[in-house]
Amino acid sequence: MAIFGFAWIFINPIIQMLVMGFIFQFFVPVKTANYFEFLFPGLLVWNFFSYTVLKNTPIFIGERALLKKANFPKETLVLSVVIVNLLNFLLALIVFVTFEWLVLSEVHWWRWWLLPGIMVWLTVLTTGLSLLFSSLNVKWRDVNYGVQALMPLWFYATPIVYSIDLLPKWAANFVYFNPMTAIVEILRWVVIGTPVGWVSIWVSLLSTLIIFVLGWIVFKNNSSYFDDWL
Amino acid sequence: MTGSKKNNEVHIQLAEVFKRYSPVVGSHLRNQKTRTVLSGVTLEINKGERVGLIGSNGAGKTTLLKVIAGISKISTGKLVVNGRVNSLMELGAGFYPDLTGRENILLNGMLAGASRKEVRRSMNDIIKYSGIEKFIDYPFYTYSAGMKLRLAFSVATHASPDILLFDEIVAMGDEKFIKTFKNYFNRVLKEKKTVIFATHVLTVLPLYCERVIWMDGGKVRMDGKASEVIAKYQKEMAKEIDRD
Repeated sequence: MAIFGFAWIFINPIIQMLVMGFIFQFFVPVKTANYFEFLFPGLLVWNFFSYTVLKNTPIFIGERALLKKANFPKETLVLSVVIVNLLNFLLALIVFVTFEWLVLSEVHWWRWWLLPGIMVWLTVLTTGLSLLFSSLNVKWRDVNYGVQALMPLWFYATPIVYSIDLLPKWAANFVYFNPMTAIVEILRWVVIGTPVGWVSIWVSLLSTLIIFVLGWIVFKNNSSYFDDWL
Repeated sequence: MTGSKKNNEVHIQLAEVFKRYSPVVGSHLRNQKTRTVLSGVTLEINKGERVGLIGSNGAGKTTLLKVIAGISKISTGKLVVNGRVNSLMELGAGFYPDLTGRENILLNGMLAGASRKEVRRSMNDIIKYSGIEKFIDYPFYTYSAGMKLRLAFSVATHASPDILLFDEIVAMGDEKFIKTFKNYFNRVLKEKKTVIFATHVLTVLPLYCERVIWMDGGKVRMDGKASEVIAKYQKEMAKEIDRD
């Protein structure tokens, strides 16, 4: 039995925000009225993304008992993780907005109309990457270890605890090619109105599309042979 | 096999079906070779036939069922399956220990190809047929093996499949379950459903099936009337045991 059950959806990101916000505000010279407000939207996006991809990568191995015994659309396993985490993400977002509304500065309600678009974008990217990694991991089990090593690096390659203008030019250019950059920046614009780089939006949209198509193709070509490799 | 006059009556058709497994990627085992588990299986099963599948371990029985169920993909050959297949390959696959019996019914009914609505509609029948009404809202991990089997069987049979595949599930039930199983088979006979089941329990086989297929080394060794195939198989097995 889980005693707190539902509450963990909120407890986790709040603890994380408090700890990270407390630590990083001393090291990252972000020019913002409230560092917590700056940090939290990016952190929520990142948590959704990384939890989902990390959980999905070994999913076909974890559910091998099912895959070897029943014939069903295998993408449902990946999608169920995406949907559960998406729900958690939305709930945590609601808590954050309430918090912002009550305690912090004003809420730019009209900007929140962008939210559905951001969600779709983020979901497509996350699903594509999940399908890609989980399909490859059936045959090559190194993928799971690789993803576990990749995620912390990717976290720091995304402007979550810092803003992109704090970086030297060469590093900033690099971060612009990260598909997560634009998503984090747009959500942050929604919350506190920090600028978003146009280049990063186009780069991110394009790479999201490529990742999703690639993931879908790899999954489609391999999924009927999963039984052979499990 | 094309142009068969009773083509709409043929439920399952295999022509020269091969299933090969390539060596494991990144394995430290040297000299791994491609294993051929089904090597040229050709057979037809008509609608409403009840077929037994026998053969020693590694003969390809389970692989054959998996291929028909669509779980595994054939390497070469032709495979046609007309109708909804439901496979009961192993007890409790798809049943999650932390979910209740009721939740598991919903999940597994949908895995078996029924819609959420269909499962909801037949929920009470499934529970009643399983005979474990009292425990249906307890988590699945609290069930005994027999209770799990009865629930799984009840879900599988209520998903209204056209073709049912059983892999070694009779051996696990008690007397009462065997009776349920037998009754079910009689009902299936009336509904003209196609049933294939693989088993090592030869004594019960003639009760359920009129036709038996004997698999040996990935090939169909013998295919015909249940009593004849079983007799031949037992003779051969006795010979092999003697030789050892």
